[in-house]
Amino acid sequence: MLFSSITFLFMFLPIVLAVYYLVPYKVKNIVLLIASLFFYAWGEPVYVILMILSIVFNYFCGRDIKAKEEDPRRAKFAVIFAITGNLLILGFFKYYGFLIETINSILPTNIPYRELALPVGISFYTFQAISYILDVYWKKAEAQKNILYFALYISMFPQLIAGPIVRYVDIEEQLNKRKMSASKIGVGAMYFIIGLAKKAVLANTVGAVFEEIAGMPAGNLSILTAWLGVFSYAFQIYFDFSGYSDMAIGLGKMFGFEFKKNFDYPYVSKSVTEFWRRWHISLSTWFREYVYIPLGGNRCSVSRNIFNLMVVWTLTGMWHGAAWNFVAWGVYYGVILVMEKYIWGVMVDQLPNPVRHIYTGVIVLVGWVFFFSPSLGYAMRYLLAMIGGGAGIVDATGAFLLFTHWLLYLLAVIGSSSLGLKIIKSVIRAPRNQYVQLVVAAVIFIGMFLISTAFLVTGTFNPFLYFRF
Amino acid sequence: MTSKRPGIAYIMKYVVFVLIIGFVVLLMLFMSGSNKPFEEVSKSVEDSLDTEALTVQDTAVFKRNFGLNAADYTGVLYYSSGANMSAEEVLLVKVKRDSQVQEVVDAIDERIQSRINDFEGYAPDEVKLLEDARQSVRGTYIFYACSPDADRYLSIFSGSL
Repeated sequence: MLFSSITFLFMFLPIVLAVYYLVPYKVKNIVLLIASLFFYAWGEPVYVILMILSIVFNYFCGRDIKAKEEDPRRAKFAVIFAITGNLLILGFFKYYGFLIETINSILPTNIPYRELALPVGISFYTFQAISYILDVYWKKAEAQKNILYFALYISMFPQLIAGPIVRYVDIEEQLNKRKMSASKIGVGAMYFIIGLAKKAVLANTVGAVFEEIAGMPAGNLSILTAWLGVFSYAFQIYFDFSGYSDMAIGLGKMFGFEFKKNFDYPYVSKSVTEFWRRWHISLSTWFREYVYIPLGGNRCSVSRNIFNLMVVWTLTGMWHGAAWNFVAWGVYYGVILVMEKYIWGVMVDQLPNPVRHIYTGVIVLVGWVFFFSPSLGYAMRYLLAMIGGGAGIVDATGAFLLFTHWLLYLLAVIGSSSLGLKIIKSVIRAPRNQYVQLVVAAVIFIGMFLISTAFLVTGTFNPFLYFRF
Repeated sequence: MTSKRPGIAYIMKYVVFVLIIGFVVLLMLFMSGSNKPFEEVSKSVEDSLDTEALTVQDTAVFKRNFGLNAADYTGVLYYSSGANMSAEEVLLVKVKRDSQVQEVVDAIDERIQSRINDFEGYAPDEVKLLEDARQSVRGTYIFYACSPDADRYLSIFSGSL
């Protein structure tokens, strides 16, 4: 079930919210757990069994690690088994086909394999499970005694499918005790509506432009069309993913949970390092806490630090998908971040701000080419078209798309910076009377909701881009 | 010398891990697709079809009936009856990406519902065929058959993977 589906908006969510607030406090977690399992089973009726088995496996692994905390050697073995088990499950579903394809392409073999669809959200819930195992092992958190509460942590529907990846240590207390109030529901609803508008109005519309350009052979693109394509994708993936995260955070608030923000206006960054502090924050935090720091982080020699960074970024690339273009994308960022840290970072800091924005923007846009390309060859042809190796500087397609969509791009630029929210806030606060402000806020948000719904009803099926990861 | 007995968590984690392996084996047996090329699978299905009742359709008819563009997928094989009063049809699609599976499944569901609406009231046999239509998602392959021989077609499709 999608957050942006009519079934979710007008049936699932109102029913679950009503039942959640009608039942006694003690039963709320169970209501939310049942709703979450139903939500997942709606789209994945078979893979819900896999998720339940994964929950039970990790629950007992956590209890076993806790039981062995007095014996470091046995505890270490238990944690290695738990993490290996999780990675084997994730690896099998995500990388098994890729591995066989790679072997077949390198060696003169034609090994047949039986492919399985990737369970939706497996990368997200597996990383949450690993966070739990390691938090318990490092004694940052207690092993959860109540399997239903642990199941809720793994399967909570607001963030189950596409994050944000919630670390167990950040939510442990909230599972047992959390504050719920009418104002929190209201704030949550505002987050949700902003996210819905980002997805339904901006991401889907700008995504349609990208699809049109991506459907053309890369060699036939003019410079204008190629850049328009990559700008469209950059806006699509930002509004799609940050929209989902906003909806997840908003839904969390409606049920009394506080999730950390996942995006912080990444396209205003003045360096690539800053970009990654603002983009998919929960994934970067996860890799920093559970891979980078355990490897030694930056408290080591330069060569070791470079190795650590490259490992983290190669894994980040691979996490996004089982294909060489994702590996290339991860390595690309690894190299850029190493360079920024050890070679040109100081120089970049001294450049005027507009130049720093352009520098970051170009690197990020080139990165998106690797990301959206179906193969490395396509990525190279596309990059070539961006510098004039395609069909000249301007063509009719590019000019037409620009002239018919300039307002959309203007909205996208405003929406991807803090300016969008500032404009909304200033309109709401314009009247002096507090009650009038409330009415204005209600009109704006109800209006946004209705417009988003209209886009959803008239649009075609548009799953979130991050579902595939 | 004392030896600690393994706790319930220690035993259960292995038991559940074995259950996960068993579940994956079942998935491989009954739900997996294969990396066989579309041409190979479609040929097996095509050879089994009753070509007196069904004729091959082009991408325009596929677009009209399912609302999908054949060019978006690795391969599409679509047969349907030439007669207006028949609901018989067989569809095989291999998608390029996992994320396309749902849109094809949704399109098939919509097609079935719309055909039921068309035939309801005056062609109960066709409605029955539509209600008994067989669908299967195996990896990146999606199969749909609305025919008196739907079970046979489905089993041939499964065997061809």
